[in-house]
Amino acid sequence: MVMRFIYDRAMNGIETVKDPLYFNTYSYGRLKVKDSCSLCKKCIKECPTGAINIENSKAFIDDKICIYCGRCIDFCTEDAIENTHDYKMADLNFAGNKLKEKIYRSFNRSLVLRSVDTGSCNACMQELNALNNTYYAISKFGIEFAASPRHADGLVVTGPVTINMKEALIKTYNAMAEPKIVIAAGSCAHNGGLFKDSYGVISNLNNIIPVDLTIPGCPPSPQGLIYGLLMLMDRI
Amino acid sequence: MKIELLMEELIKYNAVIKNGNELYIETPEEKVVETTSLLLSLYKLNFVGEFCFEDKGFTINIIFTNRKRGYYVIIRYKSDTIISLQSIICQSNIFEREIMDLYGLEIQGGKDTRHLVKHETWEKNVFPLRKEFVYGSKVKEKNEIDEYKFKGLSGEGAFQIPVGPVHAGIIEPGHFRFSVIGEEIENLEIRLMYKHRGIEKTMENIDANKLSLLFERVSGESSAAYAEGYALLIEKLNNYEVSKEIKALRTLFLELERAYNFLEDIAGICTDVGFSYPSKKFSYFSESIHQLCERITGSRFLRNSIIPMGNNIQFTKEKAVDIVDTIKAIEDRFNKIMDITLSTVSFLDRVEHTGIVRNRKVIKLCATGVTARASGVSYDVRNSFSYELYKDSRKNVSIESIGGVFERYKLKGDDINNAFQWIKKVAELILNGVPKNRAAIEIKEGLEALVSVETVKGELIVYGLTGKENKFNRIYLKTPSFSNWNALTYSVLNEIVPDFPLCNKSFNFSYSENDR
Repeated sequence: MVMRFIYDRAMNGIETVKDPLYFNTYSYGRLKVKDSCSLCKKCIKECPTGAINIENSKAFIDDKICIYCGRCIDFCTEDAIENTHDYKMADLNFAGNKLKEKIYRSFNRSLVLRSVDTGSCNACMQELNALNNTYYAISKFGIEFAASPRHADGLVVTGPVTINMKEALIKTYNAMAEPKIVIAAGSCAHNGGLFKDSYGVISNLNNIIPVDLTIPGCPPSPQGLIYGLLMLMDRI
Repeated sequence: MKIELLMEELIKYNAVIKNGNELYIETPEEKVVETTSLLLSLYKLNFVGEFCFEDKGFTINIIFTNRKRGYYVIIRYKSDTIISLQSIICQSNIFEREIMDLYGLEIQGGKDTRHLVKHETWEKNVFPLRKEFVYGSKVKEKNEIDEYKFKGLSGEGAFQIPVGPVHAGIIEPGHFRFSVIGEEIENLEIRLMYKHRGIEKTMENIDANKLSLLFERVSGESSAAYAEGYALLIEKLNNYEVSKEIKALRTLFLELERAYNFLEDIAGICTDVGFSYPSKKFSYFSESIHQLCERITGSRFLRNSIIPMGNNIQFTKEKAVDIVDTIKAIEDRFNKIMDITLSTVSFLDRVEHTGIVRNRKVIKLCATGVTARASGVSYDVRNSFSYELYKDSRKNVSIESIGGVFERYKLKGDDINNAFQWIKKVAELILNGVPKNRAAIEIKEGLEALVSVETVKGELIVYGLTGKENKFNRIYLKTPSFSNWNALTYSVLNEIVPDFPLCNKSFNFSYSENDR
C-alpha cells in the first residue's frame, strides 16, 4: 500500500500551487463601470440584490453586496460593465480598534480560526473546506481551523444570520478569548445577499458583533479568501 | 399501472390529469386517510411529501409517485386542520409539523406535534407562509415557544451527549442528542432548522426571471441540480422544449456537479477513518473539477449556467476539449487510488458493517438517492422521471444490498465513474459549441406543475403554482435531505459514538436544503 502511494506521488509530483494569489482569468471579480455608461438604469432594475447605485452621476457597483451573477453585464446595452477578474476585493476594517490591529499584525505567522455557519447555502463552507486541500494548502501560511472557539483567534462567519442561529453565534463569539477578530465571508454574511428580505433572516452580522474583515463573493473563491486572510495577517 | 387506468379506477373520486403525468384527486376531509391507504396498499404508490398552499383558504396536498411508470398522484383537501397520517406513514410527521408551524394549522390525531421550524426564540402567533404575513417583515424574537422535548433516558450507565448546533469543523449547524448506554448509542435525535431563512416565501416574491438565482442558492453543493429543477418547472408550465445541444450541456453540468460532490464525500469518509493520502487526493480531484467548472462557466459551482428556456453559457469547442482532457487525466488516477483503498485491510475494517440502515427501514423512511440505493432500493429519478439526455439512454441503476458505510462508499465511487463516462460522452456531442441564448420568461396565472430532479443527495421535487405579475403563488421544494436525514438516526444505532462522524459523512446530507 505504502509503495503504491509513493509511486503515485512520484509519478504525479507536487500539486500545491506556489503562489495561490496568481491572476485567474476565469474567476469572477470586481465589476467595473466604464465611461460609456449612459445612466439608463436598466442594470439597477435587473440587479437581484440592489448592489448598483448612482453616485455623482456615475454608476457604482458595491463589491460586498454584488453576487456576481452577471445579469447587469448581459442586460447592459452599452457594454459598459466589465468583469475585471480581480478577486482581490477583501476589505479590512478593524472595527475601530487600533490596538487590536497592532496585536494581529505582530502575530503574522499564525492564525487560528473557528468557522460558524449561520445560514449560508453551504457553498461558502465548501470553499472554506477547499482551503485545506493540497492545491491551496493554506496551513503553509500558518492558518488553521480550530475545533473549539476557545482555541481560536478569529471567527469566520458565513451566511445571513437567522433567528434560530443568533444565540449560537453570540455564544461562540463570547467563548473566544480576547482579542478576537470576526471575518464575514460572502455577500450573505455582509448584508443578507439574496435572503435579506426573508423572514427568518433577522439582522446583519455587523449589527450583532463587530466585523473586522469582509471578503465579498458568492461564494468567495478560495483565492479571494486567502487574499483576505493574508491581508489580515499583514503578509501582503 | 398507467396513469389513465388509475384515473378510470378512481372515477368515483374527483380526479383530473394535468401536464400528462400529474393526477390530482380532490377528496373531502373525512376520506383522506381512506384514500391514502388505498393508494399505498392497493396501487403501491410511494409517499413523497405533504405541503400546503393558501388560495382562498388552505389546501393541503399529499404527493405520491409511481416510480415504475413515472407519474405523480396528488391528493388534496381544503381544511383548517391537518388530518394526520402518522398512523399509516411514519415519515409524515415532519411534513405535518412543518405545515403546522408555517401556516398555523393544527394536527388532528397525530402523535408527534412538537414544533419543527419554530425554535424557542420565535413568537407564538406568527405564521410566515400565510399571505397575510407581509413579505419583508421579520419574525420577532420573543421567546414564546415551549422548550423542545427530546426523548429522555435514565438508569445505570445511561447518559446523553448533546452536540451542536455549532460543530467542531467546517460544517453546517444542527443539534444531535445522543442517548448512550455504556458504549453503544441507544438513540439519536436530530434537531435541525437552525438555518431556516424562509426561502419558499422569498420565492413567491421574486420575479420569475431572477428566480433561478435563488434556486441555485437553496443548496450550494447542488446548485446546478436546483437550477435544473427550476428550468424544468418553467418549461413544463410553458410546454417548451429546448434544443438537443442545450439538453446535452445541462446533462454535462449535472454530471460535473455529481462528480465533484461525490469526490468530496469519499474524501470525507477517508478523512474520518484517518486514511489521509487517498483523502487528500480525492479532494484534489474535486478541486480540479471545480477549477474546470470555473474555466467553463466562470463559477466554481456552475452557477448562472442553467436557465429556463435557454442557455447562459457561451460554450465553445476549446471548452469541450478541455473537459475531455481534464476528465481523462483525473479518471485514470482516480481509479488507481480507489483500487488501493478497496484493497487496504485497515480501511475496510473500519467501513464494513458500520452504519447499516436496512432495506425495510429505508423504504419506511421514504429515503432516496445513494442512501436508498445502498440498501437495495432500485430508484433513480434519472430513470423514472427522466429528463434531458437521460431520456435517450437509460442505464441500470447500480444498487448494493447491505446499506452500510462501505456500500455507500462503493456506490459513490461507481457514480463518479458513471459521471465521468457521461461527461466524456456528452462533451463529444457538443463539440461544435452551443451559443448563449437568453429568453425572457413569462408565466400565466393559475397553472401548476411538479418536476423531479436527481440531485447528489436524492430526489428533489419542485411544485410550482403560478400567480400574478410574473411571480409564483407558491413554490414547494421537497428537498432530498428533508426525508433522508432520519436514515442517519437508524444507521448509528448500536454503533459507538466515535463512529458517528464516519456514518454522518457517508451520507453527507445538506443542512441548508433541509432547513430552507
